[in-house]
Amino acid sequence: MAEQIVKPDLKFINDVIAAGGESLKKCFQCATCSVVCNVTPDDRPFPRKEMVHAQWGLKDRLFANPDIWLCHQCSDCTAYCPRGAKPGEVLGAVRKLSLQHYSTPGFLAKMVGDPKFLVLLLAVPAVIFLLIITYMGNLNMASIPRGEEGGIVYAKFIPVPFIDAVFIAAATFAAIVFVTGVLKYWKDMSQGVSLSGSLGASIIAVVTDILSHKRFRKCDVTKGRSTSHMLVFFSFVGLAITTTIAVVYIYGLKWESPYPLSDPMKILGNASAAALLLGLALVIINRLKNVDKAGIGSYYDWLFIGVVTSVVVTGVLSELLRLGDIAQMAYPIYFIHLVTVFFLFAYAPFSKMAHMVYRATAMVFAKQSGRE
Amino acid sequence: MSERKGVLVIGGGISGLTAALELAETGCDVFIAEKNPYLGGRVAQLNKYFPKLCPPTCGLEMNFRRIKENGRVKFFTQAGVEKISGQEGNYDVTLKVNPRYVNDRCTGCNACAEACPAERPNDFNFGMDKTKAAYLPFDQAFPFKYVIDDKHCKANCGKACLEACKYGAIDLGMKAETVTLNVGSIVVATGWNLYDSTRMDNLGFGKVKNVITNMMMERLASSSGPTKGKIVRPSDGKAVSNVAFVQCAGSRDENHLAYCSYICCMASLKQVTYIREQYPESKAKIFYIDIRTPGRYEQFYWKVRDDANVSFLKGKVARITEDEATGDVIVEAEDILSGRKIKESFDMVVLAAGMESSLKESRLPEMSYTEDGFILPSKLKKGITAVGTAKSPVDVQRSVQDATGAALKGIQSLVRR
Repeated sequence: MAEQIVKPDLKFINDVIAAGGESLKKCFQCATCSVVCNVTPDDRPFPRKEMVHAQWGLKDRLFANPDIWLCHQCSDCTAYCPRGAKPGEVLGAVRKLSLQHYSTPGFLAKMVGDPKFLVLLLAVPAVIFLLIITYMGNLNMASIPRGEEGGIVYAKFIPVPFIDAVFIAAATFAAIVFVTGVLKYWKDMSQGVSLSGSLGASIIAVVTDILSHKRFRKCDVTKGRSTSHMLVFFSFVGLAITTTIAVVYIYGLKWESPYPLSDPMKILGNASAAALLLGLALVIINRLKNVDKAGIGSYYDWLFIGVVTSVVVTGVLSELLRLGDIAQMAYPIYFIHLVTVFFLFAYAPFSKMAHMVYRATAMVFAKQSGRE
Repeated sequence: MSERKGVLVIGGGISGLTAALELAETGCDVFIAEKNPYLGGRVAQLNKYFPKLCPPTCGLEMNFRRIKENGRVKFFTQAGVEKISGQEGNYDVTLKVNPRYVNDRCTGCNACAEACPAERPNDFNFGMDKTKAAYLPFDQAFPFKYVIDDKHCKANCGKACLEACKYGAIDLGMKAETVTLNVGSIVVATGWNLYDSTRMDNLGFGKVKNVITNMMMERLASSSGPTKGKIVRPSDGKAVSNVAFVQCAGSRDENHLAYCSYICCMASLKQVTYIREQYPESKAKIFYIDIRTPGRYEQFYWKVRDDANVSFLKGKVARITEDEATGDVIVEAEDILSGRKIKESFDMVVLAAGMESSLKESRLPEMSYTEDGFILPSKLKKGITAVGTAKSPVDVQRSVQDATGAALKGIQSLVRR
């Protein structure tokens, strides 16, 4: 056997602990976790080996393979762990650090993961939108022009082209960060691994798995999570379709908002929002219900849940307040809505939102490298 | 010497017997309160001791002879401690002695059992067979007297046992008695229970027929056991050729027993020799986290390890299922050294279940306990000493040594100056 020299990265160990993996050092390598895990491959299963790699600070071994993302944090491992080492939570912490590793700039990733910077991160979109509002002379809410029928029209508060400019910029930034991160991740994983099969076929297979939540449904302890995640997931799909139709209405048909409630796009959007609210409620209930077995989760998890919840709650309230014509509350809530939407998308590559991109990438890589 | 108070020993297993005899042989009067209808405790259920692989019954026989010869040991079976009060040198203890329904005239002729129409699951054999409601706990039971299990006795059977007994030994009217003792000191030798393996829902015990516990294996291998010593699997009585041992089944697991049960590695290694001896072609595999064979026990481990038909796999078994067609048991583990998750089929699987304090569910008054229900010796009142597995999981050898030490503590309490 060739001699191997292990160089522990002590800082990394402490980072894992700080990121929610406090229980890391309790692991005594019994491998209960790898056996009770329903989503691991049989060859070099996780999360037992990830636990020892994390204990030894072997950052590169953890990052440069698909396994940490093949984990869906079912928490079966955590529930059965004889030491309370919570492998599910530790892998969650490692995934957070992996995002910080692959998503540049790194300082932004650190800020998203640290509650100290929450206000500053929120301040960025808040300032941007305040500047627009000031520029439009709409700081005094009473003077904001009304629509033709006298109702509240948010496009008159902050015109659509401004919003689009801000969000297109944010989305472009996020997309660039994602693409560079994913390419780097793929390159790291590919070192010394032979890939086979068509990439297209692998992608199609992964998309099918994701749509059906095939892996998610293998979880035992947190069985309910696949339902709540499915609701959240398909609500996002619904809202994405809604947004696409809205773009067609505004720029294709030159049809200005607001749209009647009976409009198909409006129906889809409202239905998606309702489903998202329900899904999030289930996410939160499931998490609280499973604290004993699965752990409470980290700041990182709850930030993501909190931001998505804020987006949907302020979104629904904006609509209701507009319909109820309560201007004094409608405009501030709509403002908060825009701030949280910006937060969700601009910081996506650094937040837990990024799981969808990195997990999908890892799943494709796993198919290509015969890891599944 | 004779005006000295006596000593109460709670528990008549190997620890309690040893402490009682060491005390009695220095001239003390000793009372044993034993909850079972027989003395000998867990040791009576064992097929062989490790590491010498000799039968425990011979050691027990010796102790029982010492009791008979010495005459200073008075024992109560089916007895529980209700109340303890007082202090070192002067403890008042109330015992509740449940009725045996069989008096001292019993000769052990078995006529009552033959006549008895009711059956009971045989707890001595962990429910693997049945006895009549009128039964002898086991072949070499001491006292050698039958018992009637009032939970299973159908008193309306026409009292068949009463008529069958030629010696007038059966007394179905016997009632529970309260006994009060005044003693100078107390030795707590309450022993252990096997952790309930059905509580590990991933290990199949109680659902997968050919999954047994280590203590069931002792009874299977014992010539006085349910199969007269033939090691066969429960589902179909088939001779076993391939047996897995699952270490730390409940022990070292904060969801079950948060401590190492100390004896299970040695017990499994010992039981491997039962199988290997009975079936020369058979194979055994031990799934472990760490093989813990403290001190000189290591040599026993080496001996078993050197057997080519015995293999070891580092990785805890975390899932056990049944092959319904064959009754075989499918064991899943990660082979840590090769990094592969394996599924392997065995004729039978033995769970190395752990030790739980007998006091976990039914506490004695006036004691201090650890979180797990073991006695915390440093916090005991003066004049009360705990022995062996009442304090912590431990083997027979150390229990016996501990009991000898406890006897001295007991004497000190009687004559302290």
